[in-house]
This record gives sequence, C-alpha cells and structure tokens, in this order.
Amino acid sequence: MQGTFDSLLLGFSVAFQPSVLWYAFLGCLVGTLVGVLPGIGPLAGISILLPATFGLDATKAVIMLAGIYYGSQYGGSTTSILMRIPGEASSVMTCIDGYAMAQKGRAGAALCIAAVGSWIAGTFGVLVLTLIAPPLAAFALRFGPPEYTALLVLGLIFLAYMSSTALPRTLLMAAVGLLLGTVGIDNMTGHFRYAFDIPELGDGIGIVPVAVGLFGLGEILSTPSATVLGKVIAPKLRELLPSRTEWRQSAIPIARGSVLGFLVGLTPGSAHIISSFLSYAVERRLSKHPEEFGHGAVAGVAGPESANNAASTGAFVPMLALGLPTGPVTAVLMAALLIHGIPPGPALVNDHPDVFWGFVASMYVGNLMLLALNLPLVGVFVNVLRIPYAYLYPLVIMFCIVGVYVVNSSIVDVWIMLVMGVLGYLLRKFGLDPAPLVLGLVISPIFEMSLRQSLIMSNGNWTIFFTRPIALVLIVIGAALLVWSALAFVRRRRDWRSQLAEVEASE
Amino acid sequence: MAERPVHRVTLRTDHIAGGAAIILGLVVLALSGDLPFGSLSFPGAGLWPKLICALMIVLGVLLCARAGASNPVAQIDWSDLPHAAIVTAATAAAIALYPTLGFIVAIGLLLAGLTLLERRKPLFAVIYGAGISVAVYALFTVLLKSPLERGLIGF
Repeated sequence: MQGTFDSLLLGFSVAFQPSVLWYAFLGCLVGTLVGVLPGIGPLAGISILLPATFGLDATKAVIMLAGIYYGSQYGGSTTSILMRIPGEASSVMTCIDGYAMAQKGRAGAALCIAAVGSWIAGTFGVLVLTLIAPPLAAFALRFGPPEYTALLVLGLIFLAYMSSTALPRTLLMAAVGLLLGTVGIDNMTGHFRYAFDIPELGDGIGIVPVAVGLFGLGEILSTPSATVLGKVIAPKLRELLPSRTEWRQSAIPIARGSVLGFLVGLTPGSAHIISSFLSYAVERRLSKHPEEFGHGAVAGVAGPESANNAASTGAFVPMLALGLPTGPVTAVLMAALLIHGIPPGPALVNDHPDVFWGFVASMYVGNLMLLALNLPLVGVFVNVLRIPYAYLYPLVIMFCIVGVYVVNSSIVDVWIMLVMGVLGYLLRKFGLDPAPLVLGLVISPIFEMSLRQSLIMSNGNWTIFFTRPIALVLIVIGAALLVWSALAFVRRRRDWRSQLAEVEASE
Repeated sequence: MAERPVHRVTLRTDHIAGGAAIILGLVVLALSGDLPFGSLSFPGAGLWPKLICALMIVLGVLLCARAGASNPVAQIDWSDLPHAAIVTAATAAAIALYPTLGFIVAIGLLLAGLTLLERRKPLFAVIYGAGISVAVYALFTVLLKSPLERGLIGF
C-alpha cells in the first residue's frame, strides 16, 4: 500500500508538470467537444488526433488521448439533455430523462447532476484502478503464450456474450477483424500475406484507417444533414444548481452507477455504452417510482452518466495491466503507446513507472478539469451546437483524410479509410456492430503469435491449453459462457441483452 | 384443382451477412493456396488465416440458418443512400486528386463542393473551403510539424 502511495506521488509529480497539465487540459477540452458534437464519437476523435501526438513523448500523448476518451463521456450528456440527440453512443439513455428534465425547466440541474456524477464516478474509477492494476499486472507476469491464447479466446467470447446483437454476428465481425489482421508480412516466417504486390500493405492494415473509416466516415455517410435538427435549450448559469431533493435522489444512483460501470468497464465490449444501458435498467427496477422514468427521473440521468464514466476508466485496467484492449478505444490508445515504443502490459508498471503512474495521476486531475469545464462553460458548448451540420460534416471528412494520411504519409491508407467508411455504412444498414472488427484487427497479431508459440512449446499438442491451470480456468469460463448463451437461445429467454437491443433499435 | 401453397423465403439481413461471410471465407481460402500450413509442432504462415476462414464460413452458415430472427432486407431504410453516395464520390475524387494537386487545392475543392451541395451560397462555400484548407495546412505543417502533400502546384 505504501509502495502504491509512493508511486502515485511520482505520478503526480509527472502530472503536475505544466506541459503535461496543458496536454491533459487539451485532451479534456477536445473530448468534451467530441462528446458534444453529434456524429463524432470518441474513437473517431482519438484516431483523428493520434498523428498530432507523434511529436510528443509517450506520457503526454497517452494522457491527451485518454482525456479525449473520458472527456467525451462528460460532453455527451450536454447534447442529450439539451437537444435529445446523443452526442455519444453512451449518452443514449440520458436523452430520455435528461431531455424530459430540460423540458420541465431543469436543464441546468440535469447538466450539473450529470457532471458531478461523472466526476464522482471517474474519480472512483481511477481510485480503484490505482489499487488493482499493479497487483493484476504482477499476477499477469505468470502468463505465457498458452495463457494469453486462452485469455484472448475468453475475451472474444465475453465480447460476443456482452453484445446486444446475436453471438454469431459479433463473432463474425471479430473474425473479419482477425482476418484483416493477417495482411502483411508474417513475423515468424517472413511470408507476404494478401499484400497483392502493394508495398504499403507489407506492414499490414493499420488500426487508424480502419477505425477512422468505420466510425468517423461511416457515421457521416449515414447521417444526412437534413436529419440533424433540433432545438437547443440553453440553461442559464444560475439555474445550474440542483435542489436539495434532486441531490438526494441522485446520490445512491451515482454510487451504484460508479460501481456497476467500473465492473462492466473491465469486460470486453463497448463497456461505456453497455454500462449506461445496464445502469438505467437497474435504477428503473430499484426505483420506488418507476413510473417517473421517461418523464424526468433524476436517477435516470445520475445513474447512466456515472456508469459510463466509471466504465471508461475501468477499461484502462486490462489495457494497462494485461496489455489487452477491451474495446476499440483502448485498442487505439494501445496503438498510441506502441507507436512511442512502449508496450502496454504487465511490465509497464516496472519498466515505465513515469508513464503508468503519470497517466493514472493525470486522470485525477483530468476529472477535476472536466468538472470545471462542463459546468461554467456549458453556454460555450451550447454555441458549438449551433454550427450547422452542413458545414461541420465536410470538416470531419477533411480531418478523417488528414488524420489517416499523416500517420504514414500514405495515400493507400486513405483509400483503405474510404473503403472502411463504406463498409461501416453498410454494416449499420445490416445491423452489424463494427466495434468487434476493430478489436479483432488489434488482437490478431498477438493472438496468432501466442497460438503458434503455444503449439511450438507443446510440440503440436493442443492439450497444452488444458494442462496449465490458469489457461484451463480461462477456457472453462469461456466454455461456460458459450453454454449459457446457447441455453438462453434455445429457451428463447429475453435477458438484459435483448432488452438492450430493443432500446437501441427504438433509438 | 386447388393450387399448392407457395412458400416464399423472405430475404433477411442475416442471409446477406452470412452469405457474404461464406463467400469471403472461400475467396480468402482460395487466395491462401501458396501459404504453407506447416505442421502443428511448427505452424506455418497459412495456419492462422485458414483457421479464421473456416470460422467465418461456420459463422456464416450459422447466421443463414437462424436468419429468421433478423429484419427483412426490404425493410432497410435507404433514404440516406443519395447522401452517402455523393459524399463517397466526392471523398474518392479528393483522395485521387490529393497526390497531384496537393492538400490545399484537393481539400479546398472537397470542402467547397460539399458545402455547395448543401445549398449554401457559392461565394461563401468557396471562402469556407479555401479558408479552412489553408488554416489546417498551416496548422499541420507549421505547428504540428506533420508535412501534408504539396502537389504539383507547390502547396
């Protein structure tokens, strides 16, 4: 415990350097804007700005990019409450009761509860991350290739299980990503795979063109400007303080949302989105007045907004401690660290304590910055919403092109981004979630390497995954999840995932 | 004579998704012919892609088999297709022109063109396109030290 405290002090000494504070602030500001603006999610925002961090050191780069991620969770609530348009997918549930509160003249109170709830949940998440990430990383040092293979299998099954779409659909998307990850030179034998004599494909298909295409351009293609309408309700500064009753009604949902969100954040999938849906369902079920939900229930804003922030912090635990991304956003953050020559994983705490603890400490500071940004400056962000979408979307397309081009100065990457944009548009039409595809692309090289190393270690004996205790436990959990899903499918039981899918469809 | 009831199969989204997965899996398998599978004790470069192709084909068959739970293809709302097609074509044109004309001209044309298509005033669209592209060029090349394509014209 004393060691953790000392390390955290080291982290604060890094995080309080003026230049680091500046990049944390920049990340939080951009993240809030990304969250506020409909059509640009955190993934597109991070991917587009990734090249801009190449000139920075690893600590500043990851602090800024992470600020965009958790900042977008704060900003997403603004458009949800004031316009009934989710600025970010995880704010969908906030639209329902947040906008209802705004119509009753309580827009300021809803924004304040969302911001304070986000701050409490974010800080709680960082606190737990501080405590559990280092021991988890120490435990993960026992992992060899078979354990990593089993963990990745479990991760994919968990991702499919947690998804609101059917298990085969999620796995299919992940498989497409795994296949895309095979393009380029095979690291073990030097064979060129599916490069079609295009030299740029020798290094494989990058995460940035795929992520920007699927999420940035894909979103723009499926959003004609005529559909982006809405009246902005502008709250006055003096209306921001909630009443004593509203504070009381929000306290427990914020606490529940923080814990639930963090736990969901640890699991693979779009945790920040799932956690807000789950929190809303839990609050409605536990409420003494469930009939108020949909008509301006305070808990309907406090719970989901806290949950999505705690989840975005929780998602950093597997990334930092195990070197495994649980979603596309953490995958891009991992790529950012790798570009700077710092592999995330169990060795990160010991090999680069300044990066690890500087990053953790910056999140304490970042959450405070976001609270300060989101309340007094809400009027400024409301004005951003008044920029016509007809001017905004060409700008986003331009940043997609620039963001992708700058990574490798490669026009081939930009073409890949365009193809992925069209694919993202079509996937949306056919109800397929593109997030597992990005995840598959990121984990494909790690997955292939650990599988082949395991087979070489065991002289081709598949039972290596069942004879090592940690790998066996992970495989058994994965198998149990598969059986559970199959049973639910056979019995055609409606569980929380089908309810989530219904809500997503209705939105 | 009574007519036999005709059982029409409704084409559903999962039929298309599953079918596409099967075709993609088979095509990649066919393209993987020269990749060595190796042995289990020393797997070659072809093992992993072929495993994934097999998984994709199995998942594609599964999707087709339980496609009844998905939406009919006829119900897909394509009202945003004209917007998507125009934006895709404009972006493709800008990417094609980018290496030759350079950032400022290619992206300026893209911005102005898309703004014009949104029925904004032509003069405003041109000023918007030119202003933004010059500002972003300066931001990336001067401040962020990330060079953008200068093209034949020189900027």
